[in-house]
Amino acid sequence: MTAASLVVSGAVLGLTAGVGGATLPRRSRVAVGAVLVWGACALEAVAAIHVLVSGHRVVLHSAELLPFTGVNLVLTPLGAFFVLLVAMVAVPATLHGIGYAHHGLDSRMAAFAVPIFVTVLLLVPAAGSVATFMVLWELMALTSLSLVLVDHGRREATRSAGTWYAVITHIGAAAILTAFLILAAHSGGQSFAALRLHARHLAPVVRALVFVLALVGFGSKAGVVPFHVWLPKAHPEAPSPVSALMSGAMVALGVYGIILVGDVILGGGSLWWWLVVLALGAVSALFGSLHAASSTDMKRLLAYSTTDNVGLALIGLGASGLFDATRHPQLAALGLVAALVLLLNHAAFKGALFLSAGSVQSATGTRDLDQLGGLLRRMPQTGALFLGAAAAICALPPLNGFIGEWLLFQSLLHGADIGNTAGEIAIPLAVAAMALTAGLTVVAFVKAAGIGFLGRPRSEGADAAVEVPGTMRLAVGLLVGVCVVLGVVPTLVLPAVERAVRAVLPRVAPLSLAHGVDLQLVGLRGVLEPAALAAAMAGALFGLGALRRALARRPAPRVAEAWGCGRQLQTARMQYTATSFAEPVQRVFDDVLRPVQDLDVSHVAESRYFIEAVTFHNAVDDGIERGLYRPVIGAVRRWGQVARQLQPGSVHRYLAYGLGALVIVLTALTVIR
Amino acid sequence: MSAQNLWRSLWRVRRVTEALAPDADATAGPEELIGSLQLRHVDAGSCNGCELEIASAFGPVYDAERFGARLVASPRHADGLLVTGPVTRNMAVPLVKTLEATPHPRIVIAVGDCACDCGVFRGGYGVVGSVGDVVPVDASIPGCPPDPTAIIDALRGITRR
Repeated sequence: MTAASLVVSGAVLGLTAGVGGATLPRRSRVAVGAVLVWGACALEAVAAIHVLVSGHRVVLHSAELLPFTGVNLVLTPLGAFFVLLVAMVAVPATLHGIGYAHHGLDSRMAAFAVPIFVTVLLLVPAAGSVATFMVLWELMALTSLSLVLVDHGRREATRSAGTWYAVITHIGAAAILTAFLILAAHSGGQSFAALRLHARHLAPVVRALVFVLALVGFGSKAGVVPFHVWLPKAHPEAPSPVSALMSGAMVALGVYGIILVGDVILGGGSLWWWLVVLALGAVSALFGSLHAASSTDMKRLLAYSTTDNVGLALIGLGASGLFDATRHPQLAALGLVAALVLLLNHAAFKGALFLSAGSVQSATGTRDLDQLGGLLRRMPQTGALFLGAAAAICALPPLNGFIGEWLLFQSLLHGADIGNTAGEIAIPLAVAAMALTAGLTVVAFVKAAGIGFLGRPRSEGADAAVEVPGTMRLAVGLLVGVCVVLGVVPTLVLPAVERAVRAVLPRVAPLSLAHGVDLQLVGLRGVLEPAALAAAMAGALFGLGALRRALARRPAPRVAEAWGCGRQLQTARMQYTATSFAEPVQRVFDDVLRPVQDLDVSHVAESRYFIEAVTFHNAVDDGIERGLYRPVIGAVRRWGQVARQLQPGSVHRYLAYGLGALVIVLTALTVIR
Repeated sequence: MSAQNLWRSLWRVRRVTEALAPDADATAGPEELIGSLQLRHVDAGSCNGCELEIASAFGPVYDAERFGARLVASPRHADGLLVTGPVTRNMAVPLVKTLEATPHPRIVIAVGDCACDCGVFRGGYGVVGSVGDVVPVDASIPGCPPDPTAIIDALRGITRR
């Protein structure tokens, strides 16, 4: 079986899963769809591994499938890496979806859309021409939009989130299409190979325009500030497996698009492009982590954290472009490796986090951290897996987040003297932004894990929570397992990442990061031994435990009530909440976050000295949404009102318009002739 | 105050605490508390007379900390409780809970007549009883209110300094 036929049969299997989901009875449609999707993922993954191992691209062309242009699929090593990433998220997400089905995923529409969405996600990195790419890209947007809207009948917020997502993603698609059309107009063909061949002859202004348009378009999909506003709206409203797919896989494809246009098609470019990418990455990382630290909705927190992680990947990508433009190919490759590894890591732990947030929502009926608590005792396995994934996203060794940030720090720190003033200023700033981001991420996830899973339950739903079905735990467990494996033996995947990078940056000498189980930077100073690190940490933990047991010289522990200053009634309301945990951060970053606080005191009618009720309202809304989007929406609405005056519904007025237009046309004709 | 004046006054004034009373008898308290006694003060319904005297005993003039006794902010940090006042109905459960929160080895010191035997509040409608009726008492300091020296003598009996 050739790799090309694997790609085709994978796609066919995925589409079959969609049809099956739409036609089978409600009981079986989600499970059957999921099994077929696993088949599709497996076939595409095998093809991708074949491409990565052999280094040969897979080319497919079918003139009949799409009118006028045909379908062009070219699976490059870079695309193959992203296919693997998508498959890694899609299998656990659909597995989790089986247990989550009663939350709207078993409707005919959703059972159809999920397999199609996964199939399209698998095919987008394999698209080899503009038409194929745009068709798949739009299908991806439409299927994910329909999945965000699954709950639209019950919740107003879902409809609003759907509108935001649809508008922003289509502005992005328009920008991408414009960029590709400019390229295609100058190259006389529409395959990416032709675009790449002719792109180097374009005027610098046109190249810059194309890059900026692509950055806007793909950035809006990747959730980069200031196009991130749809993320914290759509991710919480979508069913959790869909959120995991969107956040883990779809957002990564946005970064793939930037690499595709910036590095592959345009072949690098000016220095300032990559400075812009670096700046966008740093701002996104800071903004995302800051909002994640102050969010109290678990999935909103995860959505902002997605912006944060994409920002980190863009820092790697921007640094890579910067090094490439200043002729440091080795560093450029390292930066790109770091960006890809960060995306892979993000897919693993964010997928796990979104899926366990779904498990929590399924068990308790809420995702508001201020209503949760005490879940570690009620859902021990889900809780432990969430803690594991949270440790990974906080970049704690020996988990995968640490490897990604280590690579990124190495590439930035070695790039401190690249012989370009702007770059030498930008890179230390990026390092500082990364450091602050890392700290804020820890705050956000200490809050999510500590408030959500420890302490006492803050609501009846959390009190009555029971462990979710085994399939859901297995799904999260698979992704956490990936986090551990990638953290302890990253050398399993690094050769593949390197091959993908060398396909993008052909000038690079072999990096050969992997030395047995160690990471070593060739030509640079920097060695990491993740397996030894993990062993040392495990040994230290075990040793400490043993030492403590050996030295313990104390009477039997006495079980006593938690000290509550002698109060006779201790309730869950006396605990630290997510809001109170975030308050210091919120106060320090007051000028950036601009929280809206309302204190309303009502007095009893007889005397103002006695207070009847105090209500306090605290909300941190998105500053960019308020400052940038709301005014634009308001202006459009006002223009709409003005335009409405032209159209008051009076037939006489419309007839007069018609007459007027006729007179003008006739007059114009007379004058012209 | 110039530095010279400061040095001079330090030289001239020497000691401002009260003179030590003759050594107290080594009486109450477990061995572990010798030399260091961390106390949590519980007001179980006092008129605040005893509080003034306790504050004075731990103030700069009498300075009970010379003898190893300290006031702390939580029973979790304490070796014992310093209870004042008759135990009122509202404070009975909190007193028990505070003692429950204090780690072993621990002592309870009843300060003042009210704590010892309810004093003038005996039989009051809001009074449960003396401290001894609610929790076991290890040492009592009579007086209404007790003199700071009496408090210090009792504490020295426990810290044995």
